[in-house]
Amino acid sequence: MATILIVEDEVPIHELIKRNLQSVGHTCISVFDGRAALDKLAQNDVDLVLLDIMLPEIDGHEVFQQIRGTPTIFLTARSSLSDKVKGLTLGADDYLAKPFEMMELLARVNAVLRRTKKESKDFELDGVKVDFESRQVFLNGYPVECTPKEFDLLEVLVNNRNIALSRDKLLELAWGYDYVGDTRTVDVHIQKLRKKLDMDCRIKTVYKMGYRLEV
Amino acid sequence: MKSRTFLLTFILFLLFYYSGILIASAVTLKSNLDSSKDRSLREHYFIVSSYAKDLNALEKRGASVDDVIGSLYRSYFDFYSKQKVILAISKEGQQLYTDLMAESAPFPRTPLISKTSDRLVSTEKFKGKEYIRVVGAMPAPYDTYVLAYYYDVSDIFSSWNKMTVMLLLSGILLCGLLAVCLLLVLHRVFRPLQQISAASRSIAQGQYENRIEVKGHDELAEMAGSFNHMAEEIQSQMLQLATIAEQKQQFVDNLAHELRTPLTAIYGYAEYIQKVVRTEEDKLFATHYIMSESRRLQNIAHRLLDMATYRGNKIELSNVHMGDLIRGVKQSVSMKAAEQQIQMIYECRFDTLLCDADLMHVLLVNLINNAMKACGSDGIIKLVAQLENEHKVISVQDNGKGMTEEHLAHITEAFYRVDSSRSRSGGGAGLGLTLCKQIAVNHEAELSFSSAPGKGTQAKLTFTSR
Repeated sequence: MATILIVEDEVPIHELIKRNLQSVGHTCISVFDGRAALDKLAQNDVDLVLLDIMLPEIDGHEVFQQIRGTPTIFLTARSSLSDKVKGLTLGADDYLAKPFEMMELLARVNAVLRRTKKESKDFELDGVKVDFESRQVFLNGYPVECTPKEFDLLEVLVNNRNIALSRDKLLELAWGYDYVGDTRTVDVHIQKLRKKLDMDCRIKTVYKMGYRLEV
Repeated sequence: MKSRTFLLTFILFLLFYYSGILIASAVTLKSNLDSSKDRSLREHYFIVSSYAKDLNALEKRGASVDDVIGSLYRSYFDFYSKQKVILAISKEGQQLYTDLMAESAPFPRTPLISKTSDRLVSTEKFKGKEYIRVVGAMPAPYDTYVLAYYYDVSDIFSSWNKMTVMLLLSGILLCGLLAVCLLLVLHRVFRPLQQISAASRSIAQGQYENRIEVKGHDELAEMAGSFNHMAEEIQSQMLQLATIAEQKQQFVDNLAHELRTPLTAIYGYAEYIQKVVRTEEDKLFATHYIMSESRRLQNIAHRLLDMATYRGNKIELSNVHMGDLIRGVKQSVSMKAAEQQIQMIYECRFDTLLCDADLMHVLLVNLINNAMKACGSDGIIKLVAQLENEHKVISVQDNGKGMTEEHLAHITEAFYRVDSSRSRSGGGAGLGLTLCKQIAVNHEAELSFSSAPGKGTQAKLTFTSR
């Protein structure tokens, strides 16, 4: 997965973002002010920067202007339209206003990474290998037949691994907002995935919550 | 207003001017006529007496009166007709020698005169000419004859007429001139009024910086001056209101930010526990943050409530012993000071202070807490209570990192943080100094700060009222 630089001076929020990103498999580098962010960027190869705008020493906008080239998502408490426009016209890849849900952050991080990251987008766990480019799934080297919806569901689970997703959330992410159907559709598909990929112990049922792909 | 003033002035002028002309010409005419009448009377008297003398002389020479009177009359008539005077003679109401007057008159009959000494003066009009008529009997013994004297005054009337026409014509000309001048003057007089109304219109539309040019020292200039003063007042009040509104907006924005950050964290960690957490350690970690962030919200709520309370309530002042006050403060801060290895110095040079003990305690503890945040370890904080220019002054001095002028101006604003990132590494809700300021205001004291980066900060509380 990707290496992400988190530049955020509020410790609780910083920790929260870091833990969530780490749980889906990203590597995180933590810095708490603008100057340190520039130092770290010079030393490390970073795929994505999560950049708070109000920072000590050097503010987010200025940091961004000096790191041109690295994909960046602005995080900020300022949610006025002009601030968003400023952030995006500067060339940021996305803009996230506090308070935000972690799911939203992860979705946006994934979206930006998908757009910008050039290396192959494979996922491997136990004997299962998922190739997102060709939309193929292999179990112990043998291809497994999957319906498009089953693959979508698997992709959502993989992208949000280690995070419990409610049935509604899964419906929304894999089937789309406009899908009108029972949440039991999700259960059925999950059962099929578990059987086809032998992932009974990986795709966990979270009590009263939903499912989680544990890695 | 302008046109009304113009019309009124104009009409009044016409009225007075023409009545003036009328009176003057009437008076002139009358005096001219009067003097002519006097002259006519005198001449009549002179003619009559010389006539009587001549008659007398001729009678003595033996001529008959009735014969002589005719020839005499003829010579008199000829002589006086050259002087625009016509003479007529009558006897017992009977006009005599009318043939002479044929070309100049059919004069009416000479009226009868009751008494011989009476003379009758009147103005008569014959054949389009004005005459002054004097009728009188000859002196005795010829008093049966009555001599009428007609003096032609047409010239006086015609010259009077001419003069009246001249005056009227010049009056019309003057009226025209007056109208033009009046308009110019009124325009000049009313211009400031127009300027004022234009200016007030623009002020009503929100352009508060408009002013009227003040010229001279008359009433209008005074009015313009007071208008400008009003505009200035309005502008400054509006500015004040705008500043207050801006501060309020700033406050709300800041409050929103202050609430949003802990809420993001609380929500995020709750979500984290619900969806991600698998170990007990993770759960403890998340709950720790949820609790600390909740406490932060609580802190803000308390402070806001405190501020609202202090603002609304009148405080009760009492004479508080400085020793007690400082002891209380010492107790509150000593633990933390020891923790951070900060040296506290207390100096007190007056005994009592008229204040609310609890509020003053809160204020001083707040100031000292701020000083501690600025100091870090090994700082020295000095609390000094002393008299300065007969005012009681309490100051809190630290040797911490200090701040720039720019920051000093804002530090008592709610949620203002010297660090632009608004980081809470220093702790606190960002309302401490706002609270201090409110308490100072309640005590009618002035809270001022002086600082330089790297040299520490001094907070000074000056009690102005005592």
